[in-house]
Amino acid sequence: MADFLQQVVSGLASGGIYASLALALVLIHRATGIINFAQGEMAMFTTYILWSLTSNHGWPYWPAFAATLLFAFVFGLGIHRFVIRPVERGSVLTIVIVTIGLLLILNGAATWIWTGEVRSVESPFPTRTIEVAGVTMSIQDLGTIAVVVGVVGILWLFFQFTKVGLALRAAAINPGESRLVGVRVSWMLGLGWGLAAVLGAVSGILAAPTVFLDPNMMAAILIYAFAAAVLGGIDSPAGAVVGGLLLGVGLNLLGQYVNFVGADLRLPAALLIILVVLLVKPSGLFGKPVVRRV
Amino acid sequence: MHRKLAFACIALAAVIAVLGPSASARERARAADPGVTPTQILLGGTAPFTGTTSGDAAVARGADAYFRFVNARGGVHGRRIVYRSVDDAANPAETALATRRLVEQDRVFAIVNPLGTEQSLAVRDYLNQQRVPQLFVASGATTWGRDRARYPWTIGYQPSYEAEGRIYGTYLARTRPGARVAVLVENDDLGKDLLAGLKRSVSGSAARIVATQTYDVSALDVQAQVARLRSSGADVLALFASPQFAVHAYVAANRLGWRPLVITSSASSASTVMALASEGGRNRTITGSISATFVKDPTDPRWVKDPAMAQYRSIMARYAQGANVKDVRHVYGMAVAYTTVEVLKAAGSTPTRAGVMAKARSLTSASNPFLLPGIRVETGEGDGFPVEQAALQRWSKGSWKSFGGLWGSRG
Amino acid sequence: MRRPDTRTLIPIVAYVVLCVVAFFLPFAISDFRAQQFAYVGIYFIALIGLNVLTGYTGLISLGHGAFMAIGGYTTAILVSDQGLKLGGHVFSSDLKDLWTIPIAALVCGIAGLLFGLPALRLSGLYLALATFAIAVSAPAVIKKFEDFTGGGSGINMFGLPGLTGGIDGVTVFGHHLTFNDWLYYLSWSIALLGLAIGWLLLRGRTGRAFRAVRDSETAAASAGVNLALYKTLAFGISAAYAGVAGALFAIANTFVNPDTFPIALSIFLLVGVVVGGLGSLYGLIAGAVFVYFMQISWAQQADRAIPDWVPWFGDLNTNSPGAPAVAFGVVLIAIMMLVPSGAAGLVRRLASLTQRVSGRS
Repeated sequence: MADFLQQVVSGLASGGIYASLALALVLIHRATGIINFAQGEMAMFTTYILWSLTSNHGWPYWPAFAATLLFAFVFGLGIHRFVIRPVERGSVLTIVIVTIGLLLILNGAATWIWTGEVRSVESPFPTRTIEVAGVTMSIQDLGTIAVVVGVVGILWLFFQFTKVGLALRAAAINPGESRLVGVRVSWMLGLGWGLAAVLGAVSGILAAPTVFLDPNMMAAILIYAFAAAVLGGIDSPAGAVVGGLLLGVGLNLLGQYVNFVGADLRLPAALLIILVVLLVKPSGLFGKPVVRRV
Repeated sequence: MHRKLAFACIALAAVIAVLGPSASARERARAADPGVTPTQILLGGTAPFTGTTSGDAAVARGADAYFRFVNARGGVHGRRIVYRSVDDAANPAETALATRRLVEQDRVFAIVNPLGTEQSLAVRDYLNQQRVPQLFVASGATTWGRDRARYPWTIGYQPSYEAEGRIYGTYLARTRPGARVAVLVENDDLGKDLLAGLKRSVSGSAARIVATQTYDVSALDVQAQVARLRSSGADVLALFASPQFAVHAYVAANRLGWRPLVITSSASSASTVMALASEGGRNRTITGSISATFVKDPTDPRWVKDPAMAQYRSIMARYAQGANVKDVRHVYGMAVAYTTVEVLKAAGSTPTRAGVMAKARSLTSASNPFLLPGIRVETGEGDGFPVEQAALQRWSKGSWKSFGGLWGSRG
Repeated sequence: MRRPDTRTLIPIVAYVVLCVVAFFLPFAISDFRAQQFAYVGIYFIALIGLNVLTGYTGLISLGHGAFMAIGGYTTAILVSDQGLKLGGHVFSSDLKDLWTIPIAALVCGIAGLLFGLPALRLSGLYLALATFAIAVSAPAVIKKFEDFTGGGSGINMFGLPGLTGGIDGVTVFGHHLTFNDWLYYLSWSIALLGLAIGWLLLRGRTGRAFRAVRDSETAAASAGVNLALYKTLAFGISAAYAGVAGALFAIANTFVNPDTFPIALSIFLLVGVVVGGLGSLYGLIAGAVFVYFMQISWAQQADRAIPDWVPWFGDLNTNSPGAPAVAFGVVLIAIMMLVPSGAAGLVRRLASLTQRVSGRS
């Protein structure tokens, strides 16, 4: 039983990382209808900024963390303005290709600037374990869960209780009418991208101490984030979070208790489950079915 | 509508015009061996400069730095050595394309120091058929030395993984009788060969392998496997894994509070890898790890005043700026380059591929400044493995310290 | 007799021109270039297939690399003598590699149909994600079934009797061809055949049905188009093409390995289709050339092109790892911003431009 709980806790931590990135994907999809294939690389790039600040410039951790989130926000805003806006009206495929191009640029740039060498990023949390009710838990895992909850919580408050948040939601749901009410839609969309980039940065920064920093660190996490977003419903923020946590815990338990899956097939198993869910409920667990008007 | 056709033709022509003429006209068979001009010898190689294993490309950088150093001193028989190492991102299909480009378009003299088992296997048949030397493959798979009859143009360099595994087993049998060994095995030649060697030398001794867990290189981490190994009650953990997984294993074991004696393979012993695993000094599992080595490790205090290592550092400073000097893979690359230069010198002032291959198969080098003292680089009729000896080293406080004498191994 | 319609005549003339150019090209370029163009031809075949699915039927697939893998492995398993087993059956055959090509087409076609059925429920981006998922998991799944697929080491076919192409070249109809030339003619003759079949298919009822599905599923359904049938068919056909491309890929490389069909391949196939121009067949050649050569030669050409005295650019080492990827991405985004309809769209625009200019005079 202790083993089981231990897997659940560490599953929640990794699930939190997936959830954060999944939330970023959902945010962008809700705002601009795009699947941002470059979300993982954006997260990776901002994580390098954190590493550079702490390792090369000697900044203490939390100030560097804050500065990195700020950078991520501006970064996301900038990408929306200069890369996405020009092609926003294009076809779905055009935009998909643009995000793929962005993926290539960011991945290549990271390798070019910092080389592909694997680097360690210090964690703000000690790597000790503590015993709670007979279950060994890593402080790092608990800290990760706390940070994710905190960030998601703050964002939720922002969306629910501030004017800007309301404007963002309006711009996402109905851009035309929002403009009539004076909402500057394109700035709102940019804001959405900025916030999504911040969520992605959180995901990358929390993952880095465990998976280590290199240009390809987010590739697998991005796939899990896609799975989580689809599982929860691509337009549902709550779904993204729940999906991410479910996925994290589910994968851990699968890997531990199902021998055939072991660790080799964890990823395909996860994807298979997603496919099955999609077949049964195409819009995901929390998603609303899309009604097509003729 | 005809315009559309016209433009399409123009487009096609433009494409060919851009791409066609930069290539030469049809090639005929040549009398002299390609890659050799009066002023230079062109060597080719492949390494993963991008991708998750890009740390291993240090091997190519070290070799390149050494060749530049040699060029600055007049080269070999008056020729510069140009080493063109191409990125293959560890994808064997890319290796095949890159190698064919090196051989057929760039017309290199030989492929030297290519990195990776799968990657080099992918092109071995091709290179042997083309009679292009595949020299000093940077991989410990046993096949490079063992299958020389079938593939005479291919030769390895380092001790095979199987031989290395046998060293570990023999060491355990002698120093820790009754040891219970848990093994983490990567599902490829590296892991399997090491395990085979370990099994052979452990059988019949008091040491026992009590658990093995395998994982595939596409795995994301090895937490589950390490947890299962720990529950076997073993007191020795053998990590037969490539760098990123060795690091994950160390981290996972430390998280579980498990502190066995850890044996880690030479493929993952670079101090940069160990530094990652040490998690800023907080990882206690890593202390006392044992590994085999045949190259001088830059962190080993034994070589601080060593003139060869001083030369290593100055070559790196001059010809490989920005590279991490502490990474032993650079030293390995230089060792290979050193031997390559020896072979080229011995091949005379008009080197041929066959001649170079013959020299590579009859090496009798008593010393190589970058290898541990006493290690001989030898090949001959019955011996297809250039380096067969290694020493053991122990990790503590951020550096490797070699101990004991040399362990010889056949094959 | 009525004069044949110009709309039908132009493509036929273009096709003949293409065949002639393709036939004579190896005489004008080096042996190695012929090999490179052979790979371009292989890509082209896969792109035709993907275009049927994405360009004509409007279904986005990010997983065609997986279908290529199935084709490649089909060939490898049938040719190999490694004693691969499935169920109780051991594969050890002297099957000639060329015969495996239609078999690969069949196997992949069926795989495509099988995938198409459940995929009917998924739309747009969900489908893209589902196909992405398949492409990502393909290497791991291949490795899991070691006995059948050779696992992580893959299957090596070099020197086996089943392979027609060898280092010493091949004799075809009395003429001796080098390996590279033979590979070129093999892939391009199949490519041209595939092009003709594709063109015939797409200009007929099937093509119109595909386009109807793409333009508006609801409208198509109300016009009586059997959505399920045509969507599944589109998957089957495109998978069959990808399978042929995969089989040729295996023959060209003389080995298969799970890592030779990474997710990047699937992504680049989609990129090739879009850059070539969706809904256009000839543009795909430009797409194939772009995807194949952009990755390799750009970095070196750029290094030579940028003069050293330019303040910051001159110092850039474009050969550095990562730089080619950045360039590829930048060019890709530029193309999407300037010419989103791809090479075919560019040609169309240039053509209409001159038409307007000359039409005035």
